[in-house]
Amino acid sequence: MNEPLLAAAGLIILTVAIGLIRILRGPDDVDRLMAVQLLGTGGIAALLLTAYATGVPGVDDVALGLALLAAFATMAFVNLLETDDDETELGETEP
Amino acid sequence: MSPGAPTPSKALAARLALFFGLWLMIAGWTAKDLPVGLVTAAGAVWISLWLLPPGDASLRTAPLAALVLRFLRGSIFAGFDVARRALAPRLDLNPGFVACPLTLPPGESRNAFCLYQSLQPGTLPTGAESGVLQVHALDMSQPVAANLAADEALFKQATGHE
Amino acid sequence: MIALVDLFSLAAIGAGVFFFFAGTVGLLRFPDSLTRLHALAKADNLGLGLVALGLLPRADTALAALKLIVIWALVLLSGASTAQLIGRALRRGRK
Repeated sequence: MNEPLLAAAGLIILTVAIGLIRILRGPDDVDRLMAVQLLGTGGIAALLLTAYATGVPGVDDVALGLALLAAFATMAFVNLLETDDDETELGETEP
Repeated sequence: MSPGAPTPSKALAARLALFFGLWLMIAGWTAKDLPVGLVTAAGAVWISLWLLPPGDASLRTAPLAALVLRFLRGSIFAGFDVARRALAPRLDLNPGFVACPLTLPPGESRNAFCLYQSLQPGTLPTGAESGVLQVHALDMSQPVAANLAADEALFKQATGHE
Repeated sequence: MIALVDLFSLAAIGAGVFFFFAGTVGLLRFPDSLTRLHALAKADNLGLGLVALGLLPRADTALAALKLIVIWALVLLSGASTAQLIGRALRRGRK
């Protein structure tokens, strides 16, 4: 029953790809970032499904790597927002 | 949480077991690689003590299990809640901010509670100022502040903050 | 004939695909960034959780099963914390 797994992977990729319309529409960069985050999570799910459907070793490790790195883009982005903002209360941002 | 306090050996052993388990998960079980894994896990414990010193939370098994069950139930319900609101023919939204006073002291325990809360139905903490958590709610007609206070009480029971 | 385990996998993965779909719809339909953040944080984490749950009985070893759970936990952790960071940045920007 590997075909249903691959079909599910395809459906998830298709769904999150439709979510990328948010990148075109915006209106803010935050909205675009959220669409990319959704693509990241969907990508992890699709990778896991592919790993189990095909049995190729290492694909699930790629998913693990993606999961580990998922937070970094958002954190860098939010740091940028906070440094733009003068009234920030975070201790570690530049004055 | 004074920096000079000795780290309880139970906490050290738990961290070592966690990191060794993660190493096994990535590298697989091969007898000749096990020493490498142990060294790696010990290094990870050392770094983790530096980045995240043991906090003041003392976990209690029974309330913690109840909390985990409540969390899982809540996050499943949260997914259904969002799905229902998104797929309804007319969007069923009444969003706004609710100010919720927190009794948990700032620190890891409060951060963990905010993580917990952000996966519960209809609520998203957006940072605290002087002990008041600003929660964004999807539906202002829900008893957001009362639910949060009940969750916080359970959370404090499970982590030994009373 | 489909075995009971396969049926469980199909049901969980199908439900996972549904929540990815719901998350995308929320991302596209919800009126402002903060409500879209709710859709992102909750729906797709549950989607990935269900996909991982569906794959669990198909894991060959206990360590492979652990990998599925760790990947889900990592995504849960990073999704929930970045949602709060974005939420805080949005709230401060609005003032």
